[in-house]
Parts: sequence; structure tokens; C-alpha cells
Amino acid sequence: MQTHDIAIRVDGVELRASVSPRLLLSDFLREQARVGGVHVACGQGVCGACTVVVDGVPVRACLMLAIQADGTLVQTIASLPQLEGNEPQEGLTRLQRAFRHHHALQCGYCTPGLLVATAKFLATTPAPDRAQILEHLNGHLCRCSGYANIVAAIESVRA
Amino acid sequence: MIGASPFGRRARRREDGPLLTGNGVFLADLVRPGMAALRVVRSTEAHARIAHIDFGAVADDPDCVGVLSAAMLPAAMGTLPVTDLVAGSRPAHHGVLARELVRYVGEPVAAIVAADPYRAEDLAGRVTVDYDVLPPVMDVTSSTAPHAPLLYAQFGSNIVHETHQQVGDPQAAFAAAHLVIDETFRFQRVCASCMEARGAIATLDPGTGRQLVYSSTQIPQVLQQQLAHLTGISPQRLRVVAPQIGGGFGMKEAVYPEEVLVLLALQRFGRATYWLEDRQESFIASTHGREEIVRVRAAVTTAGEVTAVEVDCQADIGAAYLFLSNTPGAAVASIRGPYRIANFASRARSVVTNKTPLNVYRGAGYPQATLAMERVMDLAADALRLDRAEIRRRNLIGPAAFPVDRGVSYPGCGRAILDSGNYPALLESTLDAIDYAGFAARRAATAAGSALGLGLSFVVEMSGGGGGEPARIRVLPDGRLQLLSGVTPVGQGSQTTLAQILADHLGVSPQMIEVLPADTDQLAAAPGTFASRGATMGGNAACRAGDVLLDRIRQLAAELHGTAPENISWRQGLLLDRTRPGRTLSLAALLQEAATAGIDGAMRLDVSARYERDAVSWASACHAAVIDLDRETGVIRVIDYAVTHDCGRIANPLLVDGQIMGGVLQGLGQCLFEVLGYDAHGQPLTRGFMDYVLPTAATAPRFTLRHIETPSPLNPLGMKGAGEAGCSGAVAAIANAIADALGPQVAFVNGSGPFTPDLVLAMLREAGRHAV
Repeated sequence: MQTHDIAIRVDGVELRASVSPRLLLSDFLREQARVGGVHVACGQGVCGACTVVVDGVPVRACLMLAIQADGTLVQTIASLPQLEGNEPQEGLTRLQRAFRHHHALQCGYCTPGLLVATAKFLATTPAPDRAQILEHLNGHLCRCSGYANIVAAIESVRA
Repeated sequence: MIGASPFGRRARRREDGPLLTGNGVFLADLVRPGMAALRVVRSTEAHARIAHIDFGAVADDPDCVGVLSAAMLPAAMGTLPVTDLVAGSRPAHHGVLARELVRYVGEPVAAIVAADPYRAEDLAGRVTVDYDVLPPVMDVTSSTAPHAPLLYAQFGSNIVHETHQQVGDPQAAFAAAHLVIDETFRFQRVCASCMEARGAIATLDPGTGRQLVYSSTQIPQVLQQQLAHLTGISPQRLRVVAPQIGGGFGMKEAVYPEEVLVLLALQRFGRATYWLEDRQESFIASTHGREEIVRVRAAVTTAGEVTAVEVDCQADIGAAYLFLSNTPGAAVASIRGPYRIANFASRARSVVTNKTPLNVYRGAGYPQATLAMERVMDLAADALRLDRAEIRRRNLIGPAAFPVDRGVSYPGCGRAILDSGNYPALLESTLDAIDYAGFAARRAATAAGSALGLGLSFVVEMSGGGGGEPARIRVLPDGRLQLLSGVTPVGQGSQTTLAQILADHLGVSPQMIEVLPADTDQLAAAPGTFASRGATMGGNAACRAGDVLLDRIRQLAAELHGTAPENISWRQGLLLDRTRPGRTLSLAALLQEAATAGIDGAMRLDVSARYERDAVSWASACHAAVIDLDRETGVIRVIDYAVTHDCGRIANPLLVDGQIMGGVLQGLGQCLFEVLGYDAHGQPLTRGFMDYVLPTAATAPRFTLRHIETPSPLNPLGMKGAGEAGCSGAVAAIANAIADALGPQVAFVNGSGPFTPDLVLAMLREAGRHAV
């Protein structure tokens, strides 16, 4: 099958690869870039677990082809400090510490995508009210937590 | 120095660091470059005879590593294992691949192993299977009708299991009853919907050259035994590892065909092979939950005492048993919940249909049993014009009555004997938490077009079933302890909880204890993680192993010091030798002393123990839900939710609360949104999260969670399970609240959820017609 040469900057590292045109960005990030925390859960763009930021915009990596991301900057959970704009303490950003403190994760499968999306959300909406937080979270499924602790964690870090 | 006891603290989880940073190692993270991908060719028919499987030129494709069909499997290969929890089940068991018949859409027919998953999917699409289509049976009623098509001709019936139990004299109680409630509840089929679907990898263990299977399974030790048996190798040649698991909920508690197929691919084709279930596939390939028809008759006195319950439970188990055969038995054995109800009769049936196999899903029978019983309580209260809390008060088992022998056997766990609890206190606490007394005023103040409803429910739930639990402790060179536990990490936070429990038991800081989920090399014969057993069984096993460790430590220190073990004492992680006053010895120093003496201290201090218990403990909870029903749109919102829970002594309330809230949302999803539909031809209508609607953050209620701790007398820690109580009680509480909001003119809220807006509007229209 014909392949295409692409160059994608993932979490600050320039990656070049020759990929099949049908390769999903999620599979590229997992299998070729070998980054952690891009979790494929639904493959239909519904659940938000594979969310990454492409050129500043949150996208579902399972709905984008790797070749569409050619020439872009991709940020995954590894870029959370940059997305959040704060320095990690003991390896965790403010948002990550809030999730831990509020027990906002159980199995943790949905967590990296949720953190990436929430960091972007808070960057544009630093002081969201509860309704705005719930609207933001509607794009993310979590089967373990019951959501209340996720909401509490986000409320605890808003401006 | 050690501060307050670590047991009972709201300790933050040690699991969280890797999970928050994207460094958690889930199954898909173990796929390595060069591994082959396996794709399953699945039946597209609900019921058919396989006429021919044509692989065409697939095997000759340069990207094809190999193909598998039933004809290529060893003739002697057995069926997938089924634990028959209630004796007398007919063997509705399936092999790894369908041989002659397919009985559900999604049943594995063949497998393609190829260089990458995209190519495997391409090649699987080129396999042609010719079917002679047979008529399917799609529900219990048609499956049990005379002359119904049979899934297993040799059985002569689609009923594969039936048991009867009786306690007391229900006939006499019904004859004397003032009121008889008779209701039938239909529970829809749902999907556990773990965020991580299933997956398995078979490869060679780089160190030893042995076969190594990674699987997102709740039962790695069981899987090892069964995979070895099925593929005809010695268990010693196979290691099974369960990595971090993205949710289990019972869906990952089975030995599945794909786990066997990847291992066969490794054995046959010599290539490390992986299979990652996609979501669409998951809806037909992984076990479903809940579907049952439960008819309940209850005999009630004028004073509101329920004197007898008769229950007839028919479970639609799909096309085969997959791993366990028990769900109707569970519902039946526990349906009386916290209520005395002296007389009881039951019939429990399992019926096969042409759908994906059904197995346990969080709560395993309790959500159904609880809803049926709690609806009966409300209906009886309404008929007698009794307050709904008051009728429960009049029927609750008192706190002094324990142990209470229910006179029935619980599947796989022997006789159901309630060990401890304080049910009246649970009820009063929950009534207070939901402001039951103030609800009438709150309802009166509601805006027009909106209807509030309040529902109560009570769940009494077996926990810690499944046999004895092992644990192993090693001493690391730096003197820290490493606990190897059979509790698999499905998100429940066992590494945190078990460290708290063992630290408390040994009088050390939790930081001194590392907890690792054990693979089959590290710990043999662990039953796995299910039935709310992790903290209770894993915790007690850890303490047993801790006791053995302390004995060994004293022996080793005494030997090195030339004194008697009685002279060695242990305080907060340090050893004191009475013959050497004023000196303390750390474990690291002890290991050094041993090494100096030419003794392998680490080996001497590598200890294992097994915690066995005679009877299971029964956790309990009282739930209350307040819902707001929009009469214009039919949308139901659960606004407030209160639970008072009793799981005995609590090791970590933060994590128990997390279990309850997550469970409540799953029950809420079942009641309001979730359904796995099939059409009349057996084609599944639900193939993704687009059409399988899960609860979102906006659907979550405000929670008030409380705990009452009545220690279980059945285990040294006094613990009872907490994993399922939220899910088990929520369906009933919300259904009762819906019935309350709809009011008496809508006679019908019988569990036939989900209560989607169109269903609610239809019910309101129906009520409107009756009112005219």
C-alpha cells in the first residue's frame, strides 16, 4: 500500500514517518510515536479518552488520520504542564494534584484525555461556573467515578 | 514515628501518579513492534448452520501470518470453562470457535492473524462464511414456548437450568393474607461498558522463553490454569499477567475465546500475537448483563407486615454460559433483602436465546432483586395507605437478630446467613440525609410542569465469595515490605487500601509497604477480583501473611543473635532484642546481619499465607433518590441521592465513597438510559457509545453519603464488601422515585427500563387517558 511521509511534532519532539493514508492519529501516536496516555475507548469520537491537542485545538485522535496531522504540533498528556501553564510539583500539575486529592479517577483509562481537554477548557474559561463545567464534561465518558469528584476537582482549581 | 492508625484514613491513592501522567500500563501499552494482530471473523447470523468457510486466498497474502477455524483446532480441545455455581445446569457451553452451529451474532467463527491490525481486518473481511439460516429465539417467552426452535437439540428444551427453594409455609401465608401484591418486572439487557474494552497478548517471556499471556482479565490465575488446559500445555510453561485494567465490573471475569486464540496463534505460527477488542465488537463479543423477567407475589397483613414472598425469576442468558451460571440464583436468594419475611418460595430458570452470552455485571442479580422487592414495599404501602418508610420499619430485621439464617442457599457460597448489620439505623440515617420529612413541602413548592419524586431502596448483599485468598510478602533490600496480592487492579485502589490494612496490622507506616498485583509466577491459585471481595479477602490474607512474616523475622533475628524468638519484639517496624537492651534493629540491618552470617535473609523472609473463611459476610445499604420529571419533555433528572452504607470497618472512606458514587451512576444509567437492543432476526441494534447511552457528568446527582460500621464477626478485620452496593440499590431507588413522581394514576413502573423520555411521555399520555 502506498505510504506518505509525514512530520509531526509530538510533545516537543519532531517525528518523521512514512505512514499508510488510513492510519489513525491515535494509532500513530500509540504505535509509532509510542506516547503513553492516548487511550482508545470508543473509536467513534464519543468518549473523549483519546483527546489530544492539535495546533492548539482539542481533537479526538481516533477521528483524525495521521496524514491530516502532518506538519502540526500535537500535545498529549505529557504536555499538560505547558497546556496548564504551571510547573509540576512532585511530578504532578495543579490539575493532576486536584484529581488525586478529590479521588476523581478510579481505573484511570479516561483520565489523560480528560485532563488534556480540561486544561484547554480552563485556559479559555478560567473561572467556569458549574453549568459550564458540566457542559465541558459532557464530551467525556467515565464509567467508574460517578463524576461528582471530577466536578469537585475542576471546581477546586478554577480561578 | 507513626501518627494515627493508617486504617480508616482517607488516604490519597498511590495508584494515581502513573494514571494521571499517562504512564499507566494498560494492555494496549504492552503491544510491541513486530507483534502480529489477530482479528476474529464473527457470525453475522443469530442462528445458523455453518455450511462452508471459504478463506479464499487469504492464507497466501504476504501479510497473513495464519488462519484458524474450528476444523484446525485439536479435536480434543474442550469447551470454554464454566463454573456451575448451582448444580444441575445443562452444558450450554461453547468452544473457542463455532464448529457447526452459530447461536449469536458475534460468535467467533474464524481468526486471521496478520502483520498489522488494519491488514488483519482487511483479510478477515475477505473470509466468506456460508450459513444455512435457522429461526432464532430472541426472548424468554418465545424461547420457552411450545415448539420453539431449540439452540441445543440434545437438551430437548431451551431451559438449561431450573431450581426451586422454599422456606416456611408460603401457601398458608398467602391464604391468610389481607393483601396480595403480584407484579412482573422485566429487566433489559445492558452492557458493563468498561472504558477499556478487552484485549490479550501472547508472547514469549524474554527471560525464560516460556509462553506469556497478558490479558485485561479480572482472573489471571484462573485464566492461566484454563489456558494451559485448553491448549494442552503444562501450567508451569505459561505465565499470565493482568496489567492495569480499565474497568472490569464482571465483564472481564471469564475465560474468553480470544485469550485462547492469541495463545494458539503463538503456538501455531511462532509469532507474538495480540488482539485488541474494538468498541463495536465489544458490544457483541463481551458478556452482557441483567436481562431477566422477575415475577413477585407478596402476602401482606393489614399491619403492613410482608409474611411471604414467592418469586419466579427467568434469566435470558443468551446463547451459552460463559464462565458462570448463577445470576437467577443470586437474585432469588437475596430478594428478601433486609426484611424478615418468614415464608418464601422461588423458582429460578436460565433460558437460552440467540444473543451474546450473559454473565455477572456489577451487582449480579441484586439490582433486579432489590428493585422487585422495593417496588413491592411501595405498592403495599400505597394499598394500605401506610407511609413508605413506615412499612419498611415494620418489616426490617432488628439489630439484635444476627446471625439470621435465610434458609436458602446462595450460589457458590452455601447457606445465606446474614452476619451483621443495623438496618433500622441505615433507614433512619438515609431518611434524615434526604430530608424525607421535608419532602412534601419541597414537592408542593415545585414549579408547574415539573414533578418531584422520592424513592427508597434497601440492599443486602453477599460479599467476598469465591473461595480463599492468598497473599505473599517479601522484604526488599532497603527493608521495605512488598505485598504481592491476588487482587487485580481494576480501578478500585487496592494497592492503597491493602497498604493501609497491612501497615495498620504490622504497626508500620504505609510508606514502608509496596503493593503489587501478582502475576501467576508470583502467586498461584488466587480466585481473582469480583463479588466485592478485594478489600475483605485481600486485606485479611495480607494480615495472615504479615503474621507469618513477623514469626519468621523473630526466628531469624533470634538465630542471628543466639537467643530465643520470645526475646525479639517488633515495634513500629523495628526489632528489639531483650538480651541487647537499648538497641533497635531495622529490617534492612537484619538482612545485612543475615548476609554477614551467610544466610539469604530475603529468601527466609519470603512468606505466603492463605486466608480461608467459612461464610461470606453481608454488606447493607439504604438508598434514597429524589428525581425531577419534566412533564413536557419526559426527561428525568436525579437531583439528590443519599446512601447510608454498612460495609463493616472501613479501611479508606474516600475510596468506599468513590465505589458507591460510581456504582450509583451505573444503576442510574441502567434505569434511565442503557439498553442493548436486538431486532426480531437477532441483529444487535446497539453497536457503540453513539447508540448505547451512558450517564454523563450532567446526569450525576448531588450525593450525601454516610456510613454505619457494624463489624462483620466473620473475619478478623470486621470488613464487608463495598464494590457493588451503589449499583445494586440505585436502580430500585430511582424507579421508586419515578413511580412516586408519576403518581398513583400511573400504575406502571415495573422495572422495564430504561425510562427514556419517550417512554415517560407515553406513560403520561396513558395516565391522561385513564384520568378522562
